Amino acid sequence: MSRLLVVDDEANIRLLYAEELKDEGYEVVTAASSAEAAEKLQHGAFDLAVLDIKLKNESGIELLQKLVKERHDMPVILCSAFSCYKDDFSAWLADGYVVKSGDLTELKQEIARVLAKKTLKVKAGA
Amino acid sequence: MDREYCWDREVITQSDCPETGEGEEELFASKQQRNLEKCAECPRFLDDLKQMAGDVTPNPLAPVLATVLTEFRRQKAQIQSLVSFLDNKTLEIRFLHELGSVLQSSVDLDEVLSVAMTAITAGQGFGMNRAFLLLCDREEGVLNGYLGLGPRNLEEARQVWGEISQNDMDLQTLAQNFRRTKLSSEREKFHDVLELLTIPLSNKDHIVIKALDGRRPIMVKGAFSRPDVPYELARLLGVDDFLLMPLISRNRRVGIILADNCITHRAITEEDMHSLETFGFPVAFAIERASLYDKLQIELNRVTEAGKKLKEQQQLIVRMENMALVGRITSSIAHSVRNPLMIIGGFARSMLKNSRASDPKRTFVESIVAETRQLEGVLDEILNYSDSMYPTRDFWDVDQLVEASLRDTADVLTSLGYVVGYSPGLGLPPVYIDFKQLSYCLRTMLLNDMDGTCADRSIAISSQNSEDGVILRIEDHSRRITQSELDHLLVPFSETRDLGAGLGLALCKAMLEKQGLPFEAQADQHTGIMYTITLPTRKEEQS
Repeated sequence: MSRLLVVDDEANIRLLYAEELKDEGYEVVTAASSAEAAEKLQHGAFDLAVLDIKLKNESGIELLQKLVKERHDMPVILCSAFSCYKDDFSAWLADGYVVKSGDLTELKQEIARVLAKKTLKVKAGA
Repeated sequence: MDREYCWDREVITQSDCPETGEGEEELFASKQQRNLEKCAECPRFLDDLKQMAGDVTPNPLAPVLATVLTEFRRQKAQIQSLVSFLDNKTLEIRFLHELGSVLQSSVDLDEVLSVAMTAITAGQGFGMNRAFLLLCDREEGVLNGYLGLGPRNLEEARQVWGEISQNDMDLQTLAQNFRRTKLSSEREKFHDVLELLTIPLSNKDHIVIKALDGRRPIMVKGAFSRPDVPYELARLLGVDDFLLMPLISRNRRVGIILADNCITHRAITEEDMHSLETFGFPVAFAIERASLYDKLQIELNRVTEAGKKLKEQQQLIVRMENMALVGRITSSIAHSVRNPLMIIGGFARSMLKNSRASDPKRTFVESIVAETRQLEGVLDEILNYSDSMYPTRDFWDVDQLVEASLRDTADVLTSLGYVVGYSPGLGLPPVYIDFKQLSYCLRTMLLNDMDGTCADRSIAISSQNSEDGVILRIEDHSRRITQSELDHLLVPFSETRDLGAGLGLALCKAMLEKQGLPFEAQADQHTGIMYTITLPTRKEEQS
């Protein structure tokens, strides 16, 4: 079972992601801030992280940069309310990008795609 | 006085006086006038005087009269000479006045030079055959040949002087005529000579620099044999005599005029030199002033340009501030609206997924899902609309633009049974566009018509080069609507349920207009809709 870390400052969104992604068969751990995410990352490994670009008083892009640097084997999917972040070069560091929507189909497809790619990469490495 | 003398008669006839000519008839009846004007010069009168002095009883006044007469004749000749001198000076002053008026009123260097050089060479002026103007370049420390004027050979001289005498023009007209028709050709004509007339200001032994530093004109006679005249200069000019007139303004060396009579070989006189010296000061002053005015004009243009750029920068700052404001507002809207929408829609979908098909409340939840989907669509379009207000343009490949849009829409269009073809034009140049916005427009045009009402679900895209840019055409054969219906879709927020929030095409139109790209949308109930966009191939001037 793949283990996902969901970082979003909105409690209801974390709840929605957790419910929906658990239904898809993932183990979901949520965090409301960068600090909480860092703490959760210290205590266990994750197969993938889903990050909100705009956290309350901090930037998800900065967290993304930190994760890419420290956990380069963990793919990251960015979620944002604003599609123009796609044009931010820093956002290109992410493995996937999804505009927030009540329909989580795109997010689920993106998670499946990125995980499959990661698996292929691991197999190729082995 | 027994004899009768003609000079003593009150009235005479023409046959009595050999000294009077035609038109002097009034002297026949005026003894006094006749004596003063004619008799003093008349040999008969002088003979009479001698006779009177040699008579047996000589007239004692005769020798006195002879002395007075001699003095009278001497003074008369002197007066005539002075009158002639004054006449010449009057002409010269008149000429200088005319010249000064033109020179003082002009700040155009070419006009000043035309007047000055014409004055030196014109018959009404100083009448020299040829003149060269050399100007000081203080930065480079040299005296450079700047302009030459005059005929190069006898044949040309005859032609030019013939034309001038036929037209009988005054100095100002001559100068205007020269400036209009001959200034550049004269420069070209003497190009070879002018190029060689470059003398370092530090070459103090050179005759030209000597004249300039000495601030006095120099009349050079026997140039080929003078040790202080470089042989190259004499050979270049091809004359033995020439005049060097320095142009000095407020103690500053402006340049020098070199004049000669290379065609007529008339000797250059001291008087020529003095006249030119008088003329040199206003010319130097006018040249200096015109040069300064030129520099001032250049500086003014620079300042104006800098002011223009500053204004543009200010406008850019205001625009950037506006952009930042718009960015903050839209970002705020995105988070304030999209997150709740996502939560409502997400949980509604979740409830729908987990509810039984027979649950009576399922319809309500379905309505929530549908409405949130609709609102998310509206939000997307509003955010895109605000984004469209500030396009970011660059040069892009048209094929890349079309192929990216086709790739993004391929899944949806294929699932709806559409066949899309692209015919790229050959050798298309890059186009200056906002790629993101154009890509959005193409996607919207392709997907906007996915509810095609006709069996022919084909879309043909083509591109071709033209004088105005690259023309991109999208022909959608599936949707058959009227032109008025299409025009309605191009108005923002028009209510058209079947086309989402009704902003798609209107947004495309706004984006394209914002970028100044010509856009046409033509509807035909038999063939479908044709969109035409002309993409610029040049970066236009920023207004």
